Amino acid sequence: MSASFAPECNEVKERYDTCFLKWYSEKFIRGTAKEDECEPLFQKYKTCLTKALKDKGIESMIEEARADNKENDVEFMKPSSGAKCKYNSQEDPRSQLISV
Amino acid sequence: MVKFYSNDTVYDYGFSTVSLAYFLRYPNPYARHVASTDTIERSYDPETQRLTTVRLHLKRSRLPPAVVKLLPRSYLGNAGEDGRTQSFILERSVVDVKNGVMQSESRNLDWNNVLSVIEKHRYERPKALAEGAGWNEETTNVNISVTLKSRIGEQIRKQRARWGEQATATSVSGGEEEAPRRGLFSSWGQGAIRTAIETISLQRTEKSQPKAQKGMKVVLERLRHGGLVEVLEGMRADREVEI
Repeated sequence: MSASFAPECNEVKERYDTCFLKWYSEKFIRGTAKEDECEPLFQKYKTCLTKALKDKGIESMIEEARADNKENDVEFMKPSSGAKCKYNSQEDPRSQLISV
Repeated sequence: MVKFYSNDTVYDYGFSTVSLAYFLRYPNPYARHVASTDTIERSYDPETQRLTTVRLHLKRSRLPPAVVKLLPRSYLGNAGEDGRTQSFILERSVVDVKNGVMQSESRNLDWNNVLSVIEKHRYERPKALAEGAGWNEETTNVNISVTLKSRIGEQIRKQRARWGEQATATSVSGGEEEAPRRGLFSSWGQGAIRTAIETISLQRTEKSQPKAQKGMKVVLERLRHGGLVEVLEGMRADREVEI
């Protein structure tokens, strides 16, 4: 399994990831999932992670990035920008921008 | 300006395998620079059968020497003299099982003042050729695109706009924008620097994308041979090599 950026969360992450992969391949991808069965484990993992993100000052970086991205998307993707001609050939009406 | 990279391909694996492999991409032998991957948000909507995931990756990398030369020290932040640095990547993905589509979008959180990189993936289950035969489970259509935009000077402009006209360049930037008074930075002008950084980054992307695809194929191959067990064993081995 991939490592957590916070070593203290590795154990709970591994338990969650294992649960998720099983749920994903046995239920979700077959279209039979009624709910996310790994949610309780995810909450434990998230508690550990949120603390680590805060302690290391990464949480604010993520929030800033999200706020900043919204602002940039408007600018970045507007039809009149220089990107327009480059996008034309690639443009796919189905691929709407997913705002992170 | 903006630079754009796009690649279309077809994987000889079904959508189920490909979308699972996407979550299992790191680590792989072609992505040893990915130090960690965490899921920070996940939600499943049983009605639409859509799964939304936000992940945070930490990647180690090296700034191209040409870029290190172009940039004033104030922009280089945590990078060492040799350009070694690390960067957090925020990735949001949506898997739509009903329609057989997975889309993801990744952005860099660090170095944003130098270069913004937006990478998008789209995986799609093709319709079966025969009428009414449902889905083709043998292959998956793939489109990967990368948009590169240097944002040098942009933060300062935005801050000025936000703070109003009374703010002078010095008070807003704290000298950051003033630091690169000498050398290429000023003689070229920021527009030329931005274009140079975008061009160098596009060349890098053109080299790194085929590697990323090779990494994905290693994970797909492991899934086909030995299922999840083999993928997880492979990951363990890849991690040990790195350590």
